[in-house]
Amino acid sequence: MEGGWTFVAETGIAEWVRVSRWGYAAISGAHILGIALLVGAIVPLNLRLLGLWPSQPLGPLWRVLKPAAIGGLSLAAACGGLLFLAGPETYARAPVFQAKMAVIAVGTLSALWFSARVDLVASPLRVRRAAAIISLSCWLSALALGRLIAFTTD
Amino acid sequence: MWRITMASIGLALAVAVSVPALAHHGWRWTTGNNIELTGVIIEAKLGNPHGLLQVKAEDEVWTVEVGQPWRNERAGLADSDLAPGVEATFIGEPSANVSERVMKAERIRIDGRTFELYPERD
Repeated sequence: MEGGWTFVAETGIAEWVRVSRWGYAAISGAHILGIALLVGAIVPLNLRLLGLWPSQPLGPLWRVLKPAAIGGLSLAAACGGLLFLAGPETYARAPVFQAKMAVIAVGTLSALWFSARVDLVASPLRVRRAAAIISLSCWLSALALGRLIAFTTD
Repeated sequence: MWRITMASIGLALAVAVSVPALAHHGWRWTTGNNIELTGVIIEAKLGNPHGLLQVKAEDEVWTVEVGQPWRNERAGLADSDLAPGVEATFIGEPSANVSERVMKAERIRIDGRTFELYPERD
């Protein structure tokens, strides 16, 4: 084990994630629940921003789906952090994992930027579409890359 | 922009759907027939989601998938049985792409003792 992850891998919690049968299964399940909440919220919200369902008011959708997405991302990130502990060095050096972390960073930062600087509910379609395309690209890529980790990392 | 979005979504779905062809979980990626591989473990990485060994067999190095900790323990294997330096015979299914030199062990023989990782498989 190299690359500065030894300290992390030797913690008690990392050891537990590495050997626990049902603990690991539960964390994986909760990770998926978080992803389901996040993607399940941002896909309809972004499709609405892109112009689908024009007769449905954006305000109420926004108020429901934004906290659902934030909750989903928080759960997925917390559980993902635990799953990472099972093999920090292996994951950290895997290109697919690095790419996943990069698109999550872009997705999170752009969401923070848009919510701090832009009122998407009141902005013109052009701005909404840009926000929606960035969001959909980031989170769907994160999902696909995350799934790929299980099939490319050894 | 609409077309770019649709193309991105299409690509993401295509990746998600094509993934099972590369799968190392389950048994769909293997040949369905058992092989035997005898060699010396040169590297061991045990733990969730599954253990991986590098096994030197004559002039080839194979990656052998063993169980998660609970499965190895149920088979009666200690971590020291799957440690570098141990000579063992692995019975299991190789990847359908044989040039990968990857196999998934169903049972392991060490010093004449047999450890069953998947007792229900042939």
